[in-house]
Formats: sequence, structure tokens, C-alpha cells
Amino acid sequence: MPNAAQLVTIEVTVNGEKYRRQVEPRMLLVEFIREELDLTGTHIGCDTSYCGACTVQLNGSPVKSCTLLAVQADGGEILTVEGLEKDGQLHPLQKSFSEHHGLQCGYCTPGMLMSAHALLEQNPQADRKAIRKALAGNVCRCTGYQNILKAVEAVVNETKGGQ
Amino acid sequence: MEMKFSGEFAVSPPPAEVFDLLSDPQKFAPLLPTFSSLEMIDANTAQVKVSVGIGKIRGTATTQLTLTKKVAPSHAAYVGTGKVMGGVYSMISSYDLEPRGSGTLVKWQGEVQLVGKILSLAGGGMRGYAEQEINAVINSLRQAMSPEYQQELAARKKAQAEQKSGWFSGLMRKLHKSEGSAAAPAVDEEAANAAYTAALTAGWSGGDLTPEDITPVLTPLRSLARVNDFPDIVKRQASDKWVHAPLSRKEDSRLVRGQGLFVDDYKVDGMVHMALVRSPYAHARIVRIDTSKAESLPGVLCTLTGSEIAKVCNPFMQIGPGEAQNIRDFPLAVEKAIHQGEPVVAVVAENPRLATDAAQLVEVEYEALPVAVDWQSALEDKCVLHPGMGTNHHWHGVFEFGEVDKAFAEAAHVVKIGQMDFHRFASTPLETNAVVATWQPFGGVDFFCNNSFPAIAVQMIAPALGLSIDQIRCKTHDIGGSFGNKIGTYPYMTLAAMASKKLGGRPVKWIETRNENMLAGGHGSERVYLDTEVALDKDGLITAVRSRHIDDCGAYPRYEPLGCVIWSQVLPAVYKTRNFRIDFNQVVTNKGPAAPNRGYSRLQQLWFMERIIDICAHELNIPGDEMRLRNYIREFPYTTPNGCVYDSGNYPLMLEKAKALIDWDGWKKKQAAARAEGRWLGIGIGTTLDSGTNNFGQARIVNPYLPFSGNSEVATIKLDLDGGVVVMLGSTPSGQGHETTTAQVVADELGIRPDMIEVRTGFDTTFNSHGGHSGSYASQFAVTGLSAVHGACQKLKKELKMLAAFALEASEDDLEFGIGQQGPELRVKGTDRSINYWALSAMVNINTAGQPPELADVTLNIRHVYRPPFQIPDVEKKMGNLTLTYAAQLHIAVVEVDRQTYVPKILAYSAVDDCGNVINPKIVAGQVHGATIHGIGAALMESFIYDKEGNLLTASFTDYTPITIMNTPDLAFGEIETPSPFSYNGAKGMGEGGGAPLHTMSAAIQDALFAQNVIIRNSFNSPGDLYETVKRADRQTAVKVESRAS
Repeated sequence: MPNAAQLVTIEVTVNGEKYRRQVEPRMLLVEFIREELDLTGTHIGCDTSYCGACTVQLNGSPVKSCTLLAVQADGGEILTVEGLEKDGQLHPLQKSFSEHHGLQCGYCTPGMLMSAHALLEQNPQADRKAIRKALAGNVCRCTGYQNILKAVEAVVNETKGGQ
Repeated sequence: MEMKFSGEFAVSPPPAEVFDLLSDPQKFAPLLPTFSSLEMIDANTAQVKVSVGIGKIRGTATTQLTLTKKVAPSHAAYVGTGKVMGGVYSMISSYDLEPRGSGTLVKWQGEVQLVGKILSLAGGGMRGYAEQEINAVINSLRQAMSPEYQQELAARKKAQAEQKSGWFSGLMRKLHKSEGSAAAPAVDEEAANAAYTAALTAGWSGGDLTPEDITPVLTPLRSLARVNDFPDIVKRQASDKWVHAPLSRKEDSRLVRGQGLFVDDYKVDGMVHMALVRSPYAHARIVRIDTSKAESLPGVLCTLTGSEIAKVCNPFMQIGPGEAQNIRDFPLAVEKAIHQGEPVVAVVAENPRLATDAAQLVEVEYEALPVAVDWQSALEDKCVLHPGMGTNHHWHGVFEFGEVDKAFAEAAHVVKIGQMDFHRFASTPLETNAVVATWQPFGGVDFFCNNSFPAIAVQMIAPALGLSIDQIRCKTHDIGGSFGNKIGTYPYMTLAAMASKKLGGRPVKWIETRNENMLAGGHGSERVYLDTEVALDKDGLITAVRSRHIDDCGAYPRYEPLGCVIWSQVLPAVYKTRNFRIDFNQVVTNKGPAAPNRGYSRLQQLWFMERIIDICAHELNIPGDEMRLRNYIREFPYTTPNGCVYDSGNYPLMLEKAKALIDWDGWKKKQAAARAEGRWLGIGIGTTLDSGTNNFGQARIVNPYLPFSGNSEVATIKLDLDGGVVVMLGSTPSGQGHETTTAQVVADELGIRPDMIEVRTGFDTTFNSHGGHSGSYASQFAVTGLSAVHGACQKLKKELKMLAAFALEASEDDLEFGIGQQGPELRVKGTDRSINYWALSAMVNINTAGQPPELADVTLNIRHVYRPPFQIPDVEKKMGNLTLTYAAQLHIAVVEVDRQTYVPKILAYSAVDDCGNVINPKIVAGQVHGATIHGIGAALMESFIYDKEGNLLTASFTDYTPITIMNTPDLAFGEIETPSPFSYNGAKGMGEGGGAPLHTMSAAIQDALFAQNVIIRNSFNSPGDLYETVKRADRQTAVKVESRAS
């Protein structure tokens, strides 16, 4: 077992809540989120940052939390899939994924949502090409991506319609 | 029956004021606790609507409230009548007012009379319910009349706490609130909450308590609140019939919130973690294992080695015949490892990182042995993997039907095709194999796992561990994709169980890494086709096929050799050919073990037949579409040469539709123009069958001593104590939406809405809702699973009718199902006499006295086993009906191969599906999309490539490159529906998609390279492979045509 001297204290804000924890220096961010904070919506799919099931937003940017150490997130602000719902209201992306059947087994979904969320924050008018590019690092083995594209496009169109 | 209640209370306003309120129905009625609307019929009579009910059974009841007596300012009396729970009730309430100081003392009396059999039967329950409601009325009255009420309440906390119903009603209200059901008016809720608080604090002798002190007790209740968007989804969909509605899924509520429960999300006290040491060699003797360093690492709990477990565990059952029964397959390698990545040592530690550290400290000395990594070296038997079997030739059988030699003698053309290869790949579900195993104190083991065929898993595990089946609890929840691969997780489940046993029952979690999954998590087997010869008549009709096939199932057969017969479900594919001789073989090699993989074993045969069609078309100069139209089966049901019955279909119509979707004529023109420019642009067709619902009797064709036949699936449906409809399945969905489609079917059967039905998530042996074939595999849920659900509904309906007929004193024939004011109900047609599910359930579960003997067998807890009408196949002739339904896919692809880079780029793609009657079009389209992109990935990007020493070169996603959104074309999707005559609902199992894009891409690429005279003979066509294929230019020897002068 690691002794206390080896542990590093980090402080992160996750979904608006502050956490202070002592972690092993080698603990991955995804392990920290899942094991320490019990936020198990962020998944592990490939261990090598190919599949993106572990995608979260760190200081506004999408990152693959299986390829970052928890200590690298010290002082950072993290958004995970659990933080998308606000005041009992699903995020439009969450609703749209369900409405357009953009998920089947749901294992890749949190990562997909986080990548799409980061994209729409930066580019609310993203076109099909931009959506594909933003989701290039997220693997889905069930949907064939067709309805994921539709779901994200629908949110873009909704935003456009609202303007 | 009759119920009387009475009491008194004091309020501060004078009697005149109180009388004014009490004697005016318009003022009085809105004080009823669940008041919803009021209509005055005359000065003294009001028609009042109130909402009633418990839990999900909610509705409005109409009460006629008449002021019958009015003596100012001291007396008022009301009579109320109404209908509730299939009967009528009348209620008399009177109020006597006396001055008390400056205020008023109100003495009240209530009398409730219930008429109707069911209300009498449910009397005990009704009393509590009525009392609750009356208490609420009185509380409302007092509140309305007295501003000091709150203070009084505080003073009388203890007295109220003794009211038995107080805490219960409070609890119910809390639960309702947390479930988000219709909230009762705030006034009433507040009073009830106060009573609830009082009940909780009864007997408390410490200082004053505030409701906040109670909150911690309520917190867990709140966190149990279900996230459920399904009622809103159902409401938006608004439909009379739910089967065939494009309903969004119930499952999504949890999954889009990241609140699914996958195995790795599951945590339990005392849980520890297992990591595995795996063989770096493809074939090696284990000379020495030293676990001492690993064991001395703090936090490490135990290790397990093969020789250790071989003493306490039986080898897994083998399916193969004869000497194949001597294969010794244990969860860990015992004397030698026979594939790279075979588990050799297990290490258990307090956390996953420590377990991995410790695994690295295990020392294993290996002596490398010669390897057999392909079918040729395997058949040479120079290095035998399983000494007990004595050969690597695991299975052999000849499938001969019709008059093959005669057909060849009479053929106008004979096309001879050189070796063709179907490559090794897997669907690589994003969630890897995983399990939490907990050994039980009295023997037996609990599994929380993601095995997709748990009925077989428990039958494999129990004998290995020396347990009875009943000692194994196997449970799944959310599964992150399976595609057949997760049928093969049972060795790991067994290993985790033994680790837990060694640790005295601590729960052991094992999560496979991606690298482990690629090495050993289950490969789709590769197949080679040798000496293929095709006989055709002068019009290009294929009359006979003869060939020799060799399957390579890797190191351990496990589910094999079932693949040696499963392909014959689609022996002739979609074509009329009647004469076949296929010499079928299977070998073991030093590669990762095979597991069923989307399109399992049939996709190899379909690819083979589609290659034959396109190669023959090419050689005889017949267009690919024309060649297919000449050969398609057109009459249904169609019995194939080996006795399979194709239920229905219309392949020409599918072709027409797929052509229209992709703009066939337009692309033909563009292709001509592109070819004129020297570009390599091709158009290819693939016609595919997705055979669903296995007849397990075909297992006897591979081993006549196997005791399996037919198929079975189970569904359990019950009315719970509150009348809620609860369904449990035997399937293990991993994204196919079974909770939703089941709810659609049950809703239609019972005439209610899908959100009124609770379909439990996942598989659990304790549901007692499974048989020996339960699981999710082989494209069958729409037939087996839903037939079981449908059958269970029929039995439940029969029971509900018996109960309702008695309660409503009506004939069963006069009853109909539907939704009434008080939720799901049965009613007497054309009348307003009805009884809801709560009351019906009460007759069986809560208030059971006074019923006639003919209702004694009614349980409202139905288990139905669906068994398709299969016969045992003729094992000698290898003939029989092997599958119940045949869904079909027709794909067309337009592909351009870049002349510089050899990258095949998909320019257009259309996919037409026929799975008979569609249960949920959204889900069907999703399955078709998924199967199509899986197949495109497999055709162009994904392959398990081994070097000659048996090292897997594509053992990570980075090397294996699963298809991403960047490589995915936009699909033009269409469907036709040819209902199956063999399923109750006309549906055909679907989802596997038969590997349709593999043949489609091979066809399109061959068409693209037409000018190069290239024949595509490999199912995997990466740019590198295509470069080799074009440069090799050995078509002269690859295909030969012998034509008879006519």
C-alpha cells in the first residue's frame, strides 16, 4: 500500500463541487473520478486514448482522462457527464441522443456527450464536418455513428432556430 | 361493510363563521384533500372530482356531495356517494358546533359505507385508506379555519404520533414525491408531513426536534428516486398501438446521465481486485512460477496458479466429439500456455493498481515450444496443442446434399476458384469482459457480470466448480456491447470465483484491459475456402457448389465446434442452388480462442456464396445485379437442400429499393465516366441473411451425444402488491432496448401505456425467468423473447379476467382491458363497472378471505416458457430446420480505390433491411446502422494479424483501428417488411446483420479493380492488401472457367 508520504494532495472542482483528496502520483484522472469521487459515468474503453469513453472537460477542453494523471488536474475545473443535467433539466444533447437513438449500450455515450458538449461550447453552429472531426476520437461500436451525427446536428439546428 | 370515524377539534373563529364555511358545499368541497374540480348541480349539491389512488394506480373519482341538513349555526351534514375500485361507496359526515370561549368546538362524525364485493373483500386495506383520507379532510378543515393550527400541531405531536396511519401516509407521500408522481395539494402534504415527522419522533424524550433532524433518515429515500424520462417520452409519442411505434427508449434515462450500472461501476464493501499474468509466448511449457515477491507486496492478498486450481477445479465441458472431449481447458494454463495472452497466474490485491504491480513481480520461467499459427501448420500436427486430443484437427464433417457430381457433369460452365480467405476479427465491444464474484459462506457463488449467454455460462461453471446450478447466482445489469463476444467470459468468472473462495468470500472484481481483450477476449474465427468449384447452367444459374472449408478457432474451442454447423443455416445463402458438397473442417492453432461474433459462422458462408456469385458473374460477363436476379430464391416458405425453411422474403424488391436509394443509374453513368478517366470506381451488391432463433438440435450434428435441442426463452410477468405490472426477461440486452420493446408489447396486450409497465433491467437467476437457452445471441429476441412475453401476457389476462368476473359479477366475455380513472383496469363493456389492478392484486395478495375455490389457482405471477416448434435434425444427413426466421439485408456500395494510395473510399452506401414486422423502427434502424458500420470496419480496417511466432500485432485499439466516425459513410437506409409466418408477431430476429458489408465491399472493390482483372479473394481489404492484390495479378491461376460447347 502506498504510504502517506507518497501521496499528493490535489484540489479540483468537479461539476461545480470542490474536492480535496490525497492521491497516489500515478493515479490516472479517470481512476480518480471513478474511484475517489464515485462518478462512474466516465468510462474506460481502451486504456490508450483511442476510444474516448473517458472524455471529460478539463478547464473547458475535452480531454481523455485515461491519459492524464489526477495530479495534472490539480487546481482544475472538471465537467463530467454527471454535470450536464442542470436543475433537473437534461442538457439538450442528452435529450437529443435519446430522441434520435444516438446510443445503444450507452458505454461510449458519456464520452460522446462530453466531446460534443465541448464542440458546441466552442462552435454552436458546427456543421457535419466539424461534428465528425470533434467526435473522431470517440469510438462507438453500436450505433454506426449515424444517429450520433443526427443527434448533435439536431441540437445545432435547435440553437440556430432559437437565434 | 361500514366504517365509522369521529373526533373533535377547537378553532378560534366563532360558530357562525365556522358554520358559514361548513354549510356551503362550494366552500367545503375544495377542502377535500385531493380536490381537483367542482361543479354545482344545485344549491346544496356539488359534483366533486378528487384524485385517488396509491402508487402508480391513480385516477380521479367523482363524488356527489349533498348538504342534507343545515341548522344554523350549530349543525351541518353531508352525504357523499361515488364509485371507487369497482364498487360504490356512500359517506355521511356531520358537524356539530358548540361555542368554546370566543371560538368553536367542532364535533364531527363520519360514516363510510362500501357496497360491492371487491370493496368488502378489500375492507381491511380500505379502512386504513379511508381513515387516512378522512384524517386529511379534518386536518384541511382545521387548517382552513384556524390560523393557530400550526402551533397546536406542535403541541400535540406526541398524540398524533400514535395515530397508526400517520407515519404510513407520510411515508407514502414521501415516496410518491420522490417518484415524481402527481403531487397532492400543498396544504394536505404539509399536514401529512408534519404527522409523519411526529410519528418518527414518537417516544423521543430529548430536546425539541425540527423536521430537519429527520431529514437524514429521508435522504436515502430521496436518492432512490428513479431517473425516468419514459413517461414523458410515451406522452410525446401519444399512440393507441405501441408495437411498431418509433418510441425512444426507457433505458436512455439512465444511460444519458452516466447512471448506467456496468460491472466496473459496481462496488461493494470489502471488494478486492484481480489482475492476470499472461503468457508472452504463443506456445510454451511453464517451467517454474515464483509468486513470492508478488505476495510480499503490501496490499496483495493472494495469488493463484494453474497447478493450484487444477487440483480444485474440473476442466470445462467440451462440445466437440470423440477425442475433443479430452481437451483440458482450465481458467489458468496448467502445464503449458498455448496462445499469447493465455492467463498463467492470477493476483488479487486491495486495489487494481496494486494488483497490476504485483502481477509484474510474478516470475514465470517458460520454455518456448514450436507453434502452429495457421491452418496448414496446424493440420501437419508437428506441434499438437492438446495432447489429449492428439491432433489439431478438431472437427471434420461432409455436408452433401443433392446430386453434386451429376450437376457438374451436366454443367454448361464450371468455375474453379483458388484459395479464398475470411479474416480474423472481432466486434470488440467498448466495455471489456468483466465480473465481480463473491463466494458465499454456505457454498456457491454470486456473479455480477456481463456474460451475454448466462444460461450456458452457469452450465459451464457449475461442473467446473463442483456446484449445483442453484448455487450460482448470475446477474447482469447494463452491458457495454457484446456482439456475441461476451458469451465466452465464463473461464474468467470461474477464476474470480476461486479467488473469492480462497479469500474467504471477499468479492473479487476483474476488469479485462483492452490489450487482454484483444489477445484473449474472443476472436471471430477465420475460415479458408479451398478447391472451390461452381457448376452453372448456360444462363448463369448456379447448379452446384463443392468446396473444402477450414475454420481456425484458435487455441481453445470453448463454444466451438458449433460454428462447424451454424454456417449451414444459410448453406445456399439467398440462392436457388440445390446441390452442395462442403467438406468442413476445424483446426486449433496457437492464437486467441474464438468466440461467437456478430453474424457468427453464417457471415463466412454468406461471404463465400456472394464471392462465388460475383466471381462467376465476372467470368461469365453477367452484371452482378442480373446474376443475382437469375439466382435469387423467390418462393416462400423455401426449403433449402439441407432442410432449413426460409420463412419469407423478397430479395428482388430489396434490390430494387436499394438501387433507388443509392441512385444506381446515376452511379452507373458516373462509373463509366470515371473509368474513362482511368479511375478505379466500383459498385457492389451484397445480399445477406440474418438467420435467427437457433434450433439447438443442430449441436447434435457436430456431436450426436449432446443433449440439446430446440430453443427456449422465458418471461415472467406479475402484478405486484400495489397492482404494478412487473416483467422479467431471460435476455441479456447490451443496447438492443429490450426494456422498451417489451413494454411496447405488454402495453398493447393489456391496453395500457408502456410507461405503466416495469421491465426489470438485465438478467438475474433469482428472477427465475430463464431457461437453458436464455441470453442475447443469434438474432432472436423479437421472436423468442417477445413470444415468451406475449405468452405470459395471455396467461396473466386469463387470470385477471377470472378475478374481475368474480369481483364485478360479470361474465368474462363481457370484460375488456384498458386504462380507467384509477389506472389500468378491467371493465364490463358498455358500463361504468370496473376494477383496477390494485384491487385485483389485493384479491390475491393482501385481502384474500372470502373467495370461491375456483380462484384458488390464480397467482398473478406468471412464468411462460416459449419453445419454437422444432424437430431434432437428421444427424446422419446433417439435415433439418436449423433456424426459425430469416431476416435479410441488401446492401449496395460505391467505392473508389485511390490509384496512388490504394485507399478504398466509400462514395455512397445503401442498406435495405427486412426483418418482418418491425416492433420498434428506431431500434431496428439503429441495429442496421451498427451492423453495417461494424462490417465496413471489418472489411477495411480491422484485423487480428499474427506474425509467424504467434505474436498478435494488432493487440491495441491503436493498432487494430476500430472504425471511427471519420471513416463512416452516410448510410441510405430503407426497409421492407415480409412478415414471418413462424412467429406470432410476424417479426424476425435481427441485429447481427450477417456481415453484409464484408461481401458488399468485396464486390464493390472487385468491380472497382475490374480493369486490373483483379479477383477479390480475401474479406479484408486494407490499402496494403489491395496494393499486394493488384501487384500480384495472379488471376490467371486464381480462377479458371471450363465451358462446355452447347
